[in-house]
Amino acid sequence: MFSLSYVSRELRRRWGRTLVTALGLAAGVGLVMGIIGVSEGLSAAQNRVLSPLGTVGTDIIVTRTVAPTTNQSTTTTTTTTHAFNGFGGGGGGGGGGGFFARGVSGAATDATSSQAAALLNNNASVITDLAKLGKPGTQFTHDFFVPGTLITFPSVAVSDVARIPGVTSAVGALSLQALHESGTVPTITDTVKTGGQTISTTVKPPTLTPSQTATERSCILSVLKKSFGSAAGGTGGGTGRGSHSGRGGGFSGFTSNPAVEKCLTPAQISYQQKVLVPEQTITRVLKPPTTNTSTASYTVAGVDASNETTGLITKAQLVSGTWFTSDPADEVLVNTAYASTKKLKAGGTVTINAVSYRIVGLVKPTLTGNVSDIYFPLPTIQSLASAPGYVNEVLVSVKSSSDVGAITTAIQKELPGATVLTSKSLADQVSGSLKNARKLATDLGGALAIVVLLAAFLIAGLLTLSSVSKRVREIGSLRAIGWTRGEVVRQVMAETVGIGIVGGLIGVAIGVGVCAVIAAVGPGLSVTASGLAVGASSVGSLVGQSTTGTVTTVVHLTAPVHLATIALAFAGALIGGLIAGAAGGWRAARLAPASALRDLG
Amino acid sequence: MELERKMPMIDTEQSESALPRPEHESGTPLYELSGLERTFSKGGMVVHAIRGINLVIDRGEMVSLEGPSGSGKSTLLQLLGALDSPTGGSIRFARRDLAGLSDKELTKIRAQEIGFVFQHFNLILTLTAAENVAIAMFPNHVRARERRERAEQLLNQVGLGHRLHHLPSRLSGGEQQRVAIARALANNPSVIIADEPTGNLDSDTAKEVMTALTALQSSAGVTIVVATHDEEVAQLTSRRVRIRDGEILGDSAA
Repeated sequence: MFSLSYVSRELRRRWGRTLVTALGLAAGVGLVMGIIGVSEGLSAAQNRVLSPLGTVGTDIIVTRTVAPTTNQSTTTTTTTTHAFNGFGGGGGGGGGGGFFARGVSGAATDATSSQAAALLNNNASVITDLAKLGKPGTQFTHDFFVPGTLITFPSVAVSDVARIPGVTSAVGALSLQALHESGTVPTITDTVKTGGQTISTTVKPPTLTPSQTATERSCILSVLKKSFGSAAGGTGGGTGRGSHSGRGGGFSGFTSNPAVEKCLTPAQISYQQKVLVPEQTITRVLKPPTTNTSTASYTVAGVDASNETTGLITKAQLVSGTWFTSDPADEVLVNTAYASTKKLKAGGTVTINAVSYRIVGLVKPTLTGNVSDIYFPLPTIQSLASAPGYVNEVLVSVKSSSDVGAITTAIQKELPGATVLTSKSLADQVSGSLKNARKLATDLGGALAIVVLLAAFLIAGLLTLSSVSKRVREIGSLRAIGWTRGEVVRQVMAETVGIGIVGGLIGVAIGVGVCAVIAAVGPGLSVTASGLAVGASSVGSLVGQSTTGTVTTVVHLTAPVHLATIALAFAGALIGGLIAGAAGGWRAARLAPASALRDLG
Repeated sequence: MELERKMPMIDTEQSESALPRPEHESGTPLYELSGLERTFSKGGMVVHAIRGINLVIDRGEMVSLEGPSGSGKSTLLQLLGALDSPTGGSIRFARRDLAGLSDKELTKIRAQEIGFVFQHFNLILTLTAAENVAIAMFPNHVRARERRERAEQLLNQVGLGHRLHHLPSRLSGGEQQRVAIARALANNPSVIIADEPTGNLDSDTAKEVMTALTALQSSAGVTIVVATHDEEVAQLTSRRVRIRDGEILGDSAA
């Protein structure tokens, strides 16, 4: 075939040319490895981000959402005002299970406007009734749980979904927005005593008829005759007329005599009564007092503590500590991000509404809207939110990914109005630099890799051509002394393949290095996923807080080097060597044997 | 004759075991050229390099071809070396007409029956003396070990046993040309075509190389054709053929 010792002599003794050509191939191959690495890193990042469902053993998430209405989302956002602008509204603590609309049974199963209204009302119930917090001046803390934009399912919906053919398992979860309020209970009312005073009024009595006047006069005169004799008789009529002037003082002088009173008409008597205003105490609302009440929101979720492989979180996502024990009622798992913000550790406790919960472990959930800060066992959160037996998310795993479409349809039929999220539908709603980079890598990476490789091949080919041209006499001599065309071509190709092997080895080293550098530098790529906000995340817009309803996460780019990539790179270098060899061999084959005899200087 | 002692004789008995040896009956014709023509067309111009040469070279002869450059001497040498094909006439080599043979067939003839010695030695610069001799046997499917052994033996015969593993760059011109002669002998050829073998050598070294060639001819009966414009070299040959304008001007044997 070819003389191996000749090849090795050529490569070693012309090491400069060998190295230059090999480095050309190596640079190309190394760069291609880098491109492949970045592309795979982006794919991995995208898979990590876009397949949150897959990473929790779930293929489909079923929710029922209500879009926040604009009039509700325009409320003011300062904490103090927020705390009071709904004063007199519902009590805290989720406002009772009645708001957790049972939408799955009965005919009206869509998320109707009335249900939406109920949900909004329920979210609004977070507004604090300060009067129920305690005595003014005392410190208070309270946590409220609201369902955000999610309408609940009764637990029976979970088993309904589980019965759909092709479904492996269905797990219920309850994602809630929690609002934590703390501060001093302000003085919000004062008590005022009113009434108790006597009020005098002057009223014009009705005009007496002539017969009434006559009767009254004769009555009074007879009384006066009995008391003072007839001497006083002349003034009687004047007195009756004098009452028209309203001089109650004078009039009362006469009326103090009970005998005279009997002569008066009932109308005249009643206008002489004293009026006593009834005494009452009125509690009156003051203008909203200034207080140091502060509100913090966080998210909570109830998960099936007994299911370690499917759910919003899985045991695989445990970073430290342990999973829920068999008696998990007072145990919680805390998101590592939240834990670091709040300086929480596994083994510590969180106190919610005066109840202490033990942090058994820290978890690092994958990016999804379902990322909650604190994970409770489902019954615990249902109790906290006064929603026993209710869930607002159903996580479904299916037997085969090809069934997802059919099962999605089946779920929508089973639970009309439900929002069914699949990995694909989530992926469609993702934006951000990761997606751009991924698109770039997909669109340009492949083309760039091909261009780079072709350039490397071209360089190797040209270098080999030039090398063969410089070896005209050598190759001509070989032909003259009896080497066939094929033998000469094979010899040249064996040399370039040798160069390809060297280039492949160097190139793989370069590629591994490039990928290592990329992984070490790890440029951050943001991912904004609006569709992922399936949890309680968008509650903020309902209660007037600035929540966009999207989730943005930064993932760090890695550039993994797979064995296949190395093999591909090496093969690339070998192909480059073969191509260069073909070029050189073609040139060599065209050399006439007689060129050995020509005087080439 | 001093040089003969320095240059041991080729042991032809040993080489017979390695390679089939063509018939070397001295006196029988090796080359029979009749009406040989070779024309080149260059840019619409037709150049008649060889114009109807008739020539017979017997086995065991040592012939010099003399002529100035452009005389057709080199072209004739290429035709004799089966490096080129004529455009007219016939050239019979070992009773086969080379005209009309394919490149593959010509290559096979070169590999088995013709040895070359070039003006510029044309050694592979990256190969040692022994390797340079050995690669000549490569096309004949001689096993690597045999190639190495025969190469060392041939280099010993040309007095370079102490230079087996030297690269050409570390050999003198005379030594390089002796390596080339060993290489030319590697396949035990019927003829050695030498193109200005002393052109790059000083006169002492040239004499040395020519003596080696002469020794080959007289001891092994190898036919030798030397193209040269050196009178001294030509005088060492038994037959001198002068060429001018593609035609034979004079032939000492005629």
